Amino acid sequence: MVYPSHHKRIVEDLMGGKFILSNEDHYNSLKENDKFYQEFFKLSFDLDLILKPEFSYLLSKETQENFSRDVSIFVAILCYELDKDGQNFMEMLDYHEFNYEEIDRYFENSSFIDLIESNKALKDQDSRRTLINGMARRNIVHKSFEDRFVFTQAHRVFIEFAKELAMRKMAVSQPEESTGN
Amino acid sequence: MIKAEPRTILNFLHTYFDVVRDLFEFQSHDGLISKEAFDMIVKKHGQQNIVGKLKEYRIVRNIGSDYEMRDVYFKMMEFLLFEFKPLLPETIEKYKGAIAELYMKIRLGENHDRDILQERIKNISHQIREFVDLVERNAFRLLSETRDLKSNIERVEYRDKVHKASFWIEYYILPLNKILDVNHSESVTNKLMEVSEYANRKRLDFGDETIRTEFEKLYGQLIQTNQDLLRQSKILTNELLPLLERIRTESLILTGFIEFLRHPYRTQTPPLLKGSRTMAYSKDMLFKVKEFFEQFETQEAVYYEETDANFDKWIFDRELFLTQLNSELPVKDFFGWCSKMLLKDFSHIETEKFFAITGLLFDEALNVEFPKKDERTTIETLNARIDLPKIKIDNPVKI
Repeated sequence: MVYPSHHKRIVEDLMGGKFILSNEDHYNSLKENDKFYQEFFKLSFDLDLILKPEFSYLLSKETQENFSRDVSIFVAILCYELDKDGQNFMEMLDYHEFNYEEIDRYFENSSFIDLIESNKALKDQDSRRTLINGMARRNIVHKSFEDRFVFTQAHRVFIEFAKELAMRKMAVSQPEESTGN
Repeated sequence: MIKAEPRTILNFLHTYFDVVRDLFEFQSHDGLISKEAFDMIVKKHGQQNIVGKLKEYRIVRNIGSDYEMRDVYFKMMEFLLFEFKPLLPETIEKYKGAIAELYMKIRLGENHDRDILQERIKNISHQIREFVDLVERNAFRLLSETRDLKSNIERVEYRDKVHKASFWIEYYILPLNKILDVNHSESVTNKLMEVSEYANRKRLDFGDETIRTEFEKLYGQLIQTNQDLLRQSKILTNELLPLLERIRTESLILTGFIEFLRHPYRTQTPPLLKGSRTMAYSKDMLFKVKEFFEQFETQEAVYYEETDANFDKWIFDRELFLTQLNSELPVKDFFGWCSKMLLKDFSHIETEKFFAITGLLFDEALNVEFPKKDERTTIETLNARIDLPKIKIDNPVKI
């Protein structure tokens, strides 16, 4: 059997929990062989492949995944603090190069300090660096220097998550209106 | 006097927590639990038989025909459920009077009765603890209310949001800020700073050791208190006071994030794949190993393209030169012979080619003789002049 080009890298990256970004060589091979890989991951590992125009990743069946929760809290607090600071948080996530000092300032002065201090991945500067390194390994952020990083398009998974949650909550609080629409 | 053991009461609370929570929520909302509501709640949970215990353990008491949850349980439920009622700052400010009065009495009574002084220090410490606790709970509740406004899950009109925000600012946030503002001479925080400075002095120079220890404890408590209050003051300044400005913008994404942060451990987050290593004994290991090796079975076609690049294709033919050497044996000057052989084919000698031929010297079949005298020969290559001994190659010795 002949596998598509970059097969090994595609499987290794996705199975390692990494996002494959559209600007990477193997993304095109994955996209061109979408059907094959959907079937391949489903039959081999019972995993669903998500292929978006900007990135691709595998879905886990395990819901108790701490990393996803920690990143969600990290992004949520960061967005909240950026907004409080008068910044357009969406633009910041898309284009801004963050540095560790800036992140520490936002987190240390956050009103969510109780939540931050009780979370092992966010509680102090070292923990946050470890989390950011984990995010870099999974292609959620790209480290431009040792202490600087930018978010990749993969951050949109968490933005979509927030949108869907808001829609669900709004549907619960306004059942008549939402059914009317 | 309650006859039951404390542990029995706690067990009761644990078993009938849902009933107690409903009673608490009703009272939070209405201020009192009407008889009808009380009956309905216990009936809803099918626990009519616990009414007597609720009274016996002094969890509720009768107010006429209605009921009220006793303050200690009400506060415990507030704390457990993190559902604090916002207190008007006037309620909090009363601590300023209590603290100021105790402080004055401590200073004036320094040289009087030791026991009453000790008791007053303990009392002021208690008042401070209660004060900080109330400030924290109020700030938490105000944060929660203002996040609701920012999140605006009910999508109320901007005008209504401004109205609500103005209400919170005028009656709760600004007065609380006044209480916490350390630069304001009338603030409680300012008074606490004064007490702290005094306690710091007395913990070092007070004559009686027991009282010194009490001042030491008070000072330690005040250091932590001031840090806590500073944190609350920061929240007020950064987050609550600019509320009107902050509710001007709205975003569905931020609404989602605020709702998520309300209960981050109860909401399911995006299901990402957990990277894992497969153990050698796992049931799908065979498949994974097969898959791993299969990828090497695919042999890709290799194409070789000739280029027109001009490069020297001379390759040293060992056999040819060895045969030639053997046919000319004995050779008196081996290196000279190498140079002569190259000059037959080329107009000049390249160092690399020369060294390639000299490699014949290591052939075990050759009978190499080193010169007894210092006889040398010089070979000139394109980029070097090499000074070498004259080595004789003789006919092989026949055994």
